[in-house]
Amino acid sequence: MITRVWGLSVAILFATVVLLSFFAYEIPTALWWLFSIVAFGGTAVFVFQQGMTFYVIRRLFEAAFAVLVIATLTFILLRVLPGGPFDSDKALPPEVMANLAAKYNLDAPLFQQYLDYIGGLLRGDLGQSYKYISRDITSIISESLPNSIQLGVYALLVSYLIGIPMGVFAGWKPNSAVDVSCMTFAISGIALPSFLVAPIFILIFVKTLGWFEPALWEGPAYYVLPMLVLGIRPAAVIARLTRASVLEVIHSDYIRTAKAKGLAARTILFKHVLRNSLIPVLSLSGPLAAAILTGSFVIEQIFAIPGVAKHLVLSVSNRDYPLILGATLVFSLFLIVANLITDILTAIVDPRVKMS
Amino acid sequence: MKRILLILSTILFAAACTKKNSSKLEYGLDLNETLRINLETEPPSLDWSKSTDTTSSLVEMNIMEGLVGYNLSDRDLGSAPALATEWKPSDKGRIWTFTLRSGVKWTDGVEFTGQHVIDGWERLLNPATASEYAYFLFPVKGARDYNGGKLKDFSKVGIKLNDQKQLVVELEKPMGYFPMLLTHHSTYPIRKDVVEKHGDRWTEPGNIVTLGAYKLKVWDHDRAMVLERNDDYYGEKAKIKNILGYMITEYSTALNLMEGGKLDFQRTLPFKELPKYRGFPGYRATPLISMYYYGLNTRKPPFNDLKVRKAFSMAVDRKQVTDLLAAGHAPLTSWVPSGMFGYENDIGTKFDAAAAAKLLDEAGFKDRSKFPRVRLAFNTNENHQRVAENVQAQLKKNLGIEIQIENEEWKVYLKRLQNDTPNIYRMGWLGDYPDPATFMELMTSYSENNHTGWGNKSYDQLVAEGASSLDKDKRRQIYSEAQRILTEQDVPVIPIYSTVGHLLLSERVQNFPNNSIEHYALKGVTLK
Amino acid sequence: MSTATLASTSSPPAASAGPKKGKSLQREALDRLLKNKSAVVSGVVILFVCLVGALAPVLAPYPFDEQFLDRVLIPPSSQHWLGTDSLGRDMLSRLIYGARISMAVGVITAVISLLIGTFYGAISGWFGGWADSVMMRSVDILDSIPSIVLLILVKLVFDAFDVIGNPELKALTGMLLALSLTSWVSLARVVRGQVLQVKQMSYVEAARSMGASGTRVVSQHIMPNIMGPVIVLLTFQIPSNILYESFLSFLGLGLQPPFSSWGVLANDGWRSLQSYPHLMISPGVAIFVAMLAFNLLGDGLRDAFDPQMRGR
Repeated sequence: MITRVWGLSVAILFATVVLLSFFAYEIPTALWWLFSIVAFGGTAVFVFQQGMTFYVIRRLFEAAFAVLVIATLTFILLRVLPGGPFDSDKALPPEVMANLAAKYNLDAPLFQQYLDYIGGLLRGDLGQSYKYISRDITSIISESLPNSIQLGVYALLVSYLIGIPMGVFAGWKPNSAVDVSCMTFAISGIALPSFLVAPIFILIFVKTLGWFEPALWEGPAYYVLPMLVLGIRPAAVIARLTRASVLEVIHSDYIRTAKAKGLAARTILFKHVLRNSLIPVLSLSGPLAAAILTGSFVIEQIFAIPGVAKHLVLSVSNRDYPLILGATLVFSLFLIVANLITDILTAIVDPRVKMS
Repeated sequence: MKRILLILSTILFAAACTKKNSSKLEYGLDLNETLRINLETEPPSLDWSKSTDTTSSLVEMNIMEGLVGYNLSDRDLGSAPALATEWKPSDKGRIWTFTLRSGVKWTDGVEFTGQHVIDGWERLLNPATASEYAYFLFPVKGARDYNGGKLKDFSKVGIKLNDQKQLVVELEKPMGYFPMLLTHHSTYPIRKDVVEKHGDRWTEPGNIVTLGAYKLKVWDHDRAMVLERNDDYYGEKAKIKNILGYMITEYSTALNLMEGGKLDFQRTLPFKELPKYRGFPGYRATPLISMYYYGLNTRKPPFNDLKVRKAFSMAVDRKQVTDLLAAGHAPLTSWVPSGMFGYENDIGTKFDAAAAAKLLDEAGFKDRSKFPRVRLAFNTNENHQRVAENVQAQLKKNLGIEIQIENEEWKVYLKRLQNDTPNIYRMGWLGDYPDPATFMELMTSYSENNHTGWGNKSYDQLVAEGASSLDKDKRRQIYSEAQRILTEQDVPVIPIYSTVGHLLLSERVQNFPNNSIEHYALKGVTLK
Repeated sequence: MSTATLASTSSPPAASAGPKKGKSLQREALDRLLKNKSAVVSGVVILFVCLVGALAPVLAPYPFDEQFLDRVLIPPSSQHWLGTDSLGRDMLSRLIYGARISMAVGVITAVISLLIGTFYGAISGWFGGWADSVMMRSVDILDSIPSIVLLILVKLVFDAFDVIGNPELKALTGMLLALSLTSWVSLARVVRGQVLQVKQMSYVEAARSMGASGTRVVSQHIMPNIMGPVIVLLTFQIPSNILYESFLSFLGLGLQPPFSSWGVLANDGWRSLQSYPHLMISPGVAIFVAMLAFNLLGDGLRDAFDPQMRGR
């Protein structure tokens, strides 16, 4: 019971935050605090109660180790790649090159540079950008990350809000007209690269209907298209998964029993089928977050959204080593944490899952 | 349940009271007094001693000024007074004396003095600053040694203030076009006290102190930038009150915004759709001081043979390339691009397929199958691709030679030019200042940007003479002789075209400064 | 033929199927697949596309790189059914040759990642214990690197070091390797899971107790049994490769001439949807149809190999 109330209040607070941000309202700091305390505090209590503390701590240590490994791997790949940050079509005189190398520690032996970077990382210092001269990587990322998260959360919500109902209706009445049309959507949704979907949507919704704005990032008229284009693929994936899951559940014994007992179809659907078939969907959240992150570059680029994904891509051509590393690590950490949260949530929702 | 809903609505209501009052996208600016431009990217830095890119310089040229400005009404873009009211050479152009303007105020009210120029130059050249453009001042006596750490004492560098508030600059050797270098943002004066006070964050709004026609009001990183008219500007005040710069990299997106009336100025246009935009009233095309060429690696066969080089140069019909690109570029056989002083279109090898084939026969390749495998390399880009494919087809048709084209990612390509120069390589050159010297220096035997392996003493000599000369007619003569050596006599390069720039303005923009160096000083622009 | 049919009708439930019954299991799956209309149609579409790709030189009305400079960017006409691109090349011919490259990229990449994934997963699952947990932890870490970074960096590194010494094939090999290296992980996981499962089965235990070597057991008993799920995964891997290939084209890291794929063509066209719709529509439709076909076929295969899903 208490879990339920807690879950409901987290959901409501989350919905409030999302709605406020979506309609470009200022989110009161108090609300942020309330949400964080309720969500994270509650999770911590649950973790403790279930005896999962050790498990979570172990996962966090693993995450730290993973970040270190990823930093090393990315560092190596970057340095294997020919061409340096200050190579340009106008070759620099040796004096200038030497000054630059000295300033950015590029004249040290490579292994020393690696140690220095990892050392900085352990102190929480991601270094300075080469391209955005004198700007801290931390400040570059912290200014662009909220926009990416905003876009990602919207897209994830869109995919759930479209995908789950579609999957449920399709699975509830297999091979019906609803099923066929939902699944046609689902399969079309994964059949086009987003850079082809975006111009089509812009042509329809901006240029023909004039409903939304073609680019930039401020308010609902700007948010709708990017989140739709980014969310459509995950929505299709979720719809298919939900359908399969619903099919499995309605053929299970206890649903048959419920049906035999003569319970109303609606009660069965909402009380039993939905709850049980959403667990596999929930556990997909981690991989979905990864897919959304990967897709976000295209969306950020086409809709001119000031997010962090562009740094991942464009900094490679600038050989802005600290910025690529920083953005990669932040993304990786994000994925790891998303997976951890997914696992904990699954454990909360499904008592059968036991964490070792 | 009801209670929770109640709480939710209370929260929503409370939040509604704090709704942002105006659209943040337009920063509450009056659009009738605002020019909305696309900067295309986040300016990497507004620290004018350090920045190296065109986005930053577009902002910098509007918030700052140097000693020398451009005369934008002159077709050859001569110099014009700016922070210096006049200048004169002595010792045949080795010493330059600049008379400084008085009564100029920085945005914080401090009066501009010659010391600010010296501070700026010291900062630019200081090894600790690690500025990429430090080499701009290398012609100044002692500057290179100071930047290289060999000279520790900046007072030994050839820049002094004299009693008459004049700045005296002593160069290593005579240089006729030295004032032109001072149009560049790296040589602007700087407020040392401001830089020291705020450290790396001195370029943020509120910290930054400038003296140009506009001042920085908002810098919302990765989103937008707002410049506001500087009412204390010494010259004629800017016509438009605000400039709002968005940072939209994807040009098709920017053009969508423009179509929707949300943007006034866009620089990058897709070549595919140029025919469409040519019909727009706001379309502008201007020849730039920029050119596109293929370099030949003369160290290795087959291009160690002059006849082969000449044959290749003669076998390429430049006009076919420019027609294909359909971007209005001008075919180029000489070296200095059109639209600037020193351009002479009758210099260079003319297209002649038959003569080219004959030359190749004479070079001992009558049997074309004996011709070694030649690679043409370029950096990955749609346009370079098109040019390379076309040149490949032309060589096949006109010479009967099948060359291989290959592309590399930009930085990989640059490394390769240094370490393992391909037989034919693509390169372009964009002048930093409107003087042919920047193009002629490029191919000297000592230039770091000459990857051909070719060097010619008399060419070097002519370039040096041209640089030091103060006589315009004599310079023209010298440069035309040097260009003949380069493109007719020795042919280590195949110039392809000189570039034309395109931009699109909304219909309400008037008096836009259109010039060959893309110096978009916006103070004179008006809105209908 | 007749014995196989007999065997399939008389076979006991799949759960206790021995190694010999594995074959009839596959035959049964095939029968089920052939009953699935959409899967059959998809299979035909895929065969057709592959055929078009293979016969490109015969089918294409023009050489894919011939430039008709007097006919640049013209819309579809009787001369050029799908119009021409900005260099005056026939779009239909480019599309036909593109089918070749796109299919090759999709299939070869899937096969490479399958080989890596099967090898890795089988070793991990077979040895189990300490080796397994190290190998799976490494895979977890690899999985938490954003694939976009890995794709770009690996592609650029392979591009820069022309590994096979042929500049024309350089971008293509870079593409294949980058895509394979980023996509084998999920295959490895599936194979490991299957190996773990099959390892417990009675006949495998029996073979092991009779002294069969590990390699033999894996190749003779385990591999045939996990083919089903692997084929399904492979079918889903191909469209995802085609999609990633177009994504790399969007990033400007796509294939280079003389090769052009559907992704390259689509990336060429998306910006001018309004002015020159034919540049985007034809490659878009091609990608759409191929993706659809592979996904439907994958669905059909999954249903066919998983008898429990039958009839749903």
